[in-house]
Amino acid sequence: MASDKELSDCLKSVEKRAFKRTVYAVRDEDAALDIVQDAMIRLAEKYADRPAAELPLLFQRILSNATMDWFRRQKVRNAVLQNMSDFDADGSGDDFDLLESLETADGMLGAESAAETVSRSQILLLIEGQIGELPARQREAFLLRYWEELDTAETAAVMGCSEGSVKTHCSRAVHALAKALRSKGIVP
Amino acid sequence: MNPLTETNSPMAGHLPKPEALEGQYAQRLTAHLSSGAQALPHDITERLRFSRERALASRRTAVALATAPAVVHAGRAAALGGPPALWLRLASALPLVVLVAGLVFIQHHHDLQQIEVAAEIDSALLADDLPPAAYGDPGFSEFLRNGDAL
Repeated sequence: MASDKELSDCLKSVEKRAFKRTVYAVRDEDAALDIVQDAMIRLAEKYADRPAAELPLLFQRILSNATMDWFRRQKVRNAVLQNMSDFDADGSGDDFDLLESLETADGMLGAESAAETVSRSQILLLIEGQIGELPARQREAFLLRYWEELDTAETAAVMGCSEGSVKTHCSRAVHALAKALRSKGIVP
Repeated sequence: MNPLTETNSPMAGHLPKPEALEGQYAQRLTAHLSSGAQALPHDITERLRFSRERALASRRTAVALATAPAVVHAGRAAALGGPPALWLRLASALPLVVLVAGLVFIQHHHDLQQIEVAAEIDSALLADDLPPAAYGDPGFSEFLRNGDAL
């Protein structure tokens, strides 16, 4: 059973990313704070007997469920069907060259990086904006896999899908982000 | 032309796997996201801290509620020193014994009172000038019903 300090440290280590991840999903800071708080309390009350090592993954799953619950409540409240096309896979951009973007970022092709002319905060805003534009499942897979640094199996467990789906979502998300950011002249 | 799949490219033999490229690119993006997350406004970080403390407080409450019955049980066992002794069992039955004895005594007293009342009536009849056998006489009964005695 995790101690109070272990639980506190766990929450402290994930709370900021959890907040940002939720903001990307719900696009409302107040709602995101409520969702994160709800997830924290659920973790603390219902999984108090779990070992500390299991807490981060449990929290990610609870946060995902809490976010889905928020969307369901919003759907009922507004009596408007959520646009399910948001969950559909979009085009994978087969004609897009990811390697070219990476090479440009490394300066291998001699192109000037946009980071030299645009401030870091502006780049961050653009990246966040593009992440917010991703389909929900792609965004969730991308953030869990690469930001929370879960492995494919853990990401699949949190999302409730297969590992193959996680890989597909991640790949499409990265290609979509790279293509969109490159079109704006942003190379991270 | 996609160099990730093109085999005729000069770099074909040295191309990294698509997943590795994607991971590399994603790490650059998430590095920006991490820097942004670390620079959250003060009010947001304070609300997150409050949420964390509230979660910890609710956990302490949940743990306290879960362990409370065990404490009460332990306290009882400690107070009595194990199973109840024989004299304690007898003492606990004492009120019931007293209650039953009281009821028996009241019933007995009531029976005695009824016997005494019946004896008084019998003695009054026997001591009267009118013999008891007169009450069995039909003529005397008729006399009493008609009120001629008055």
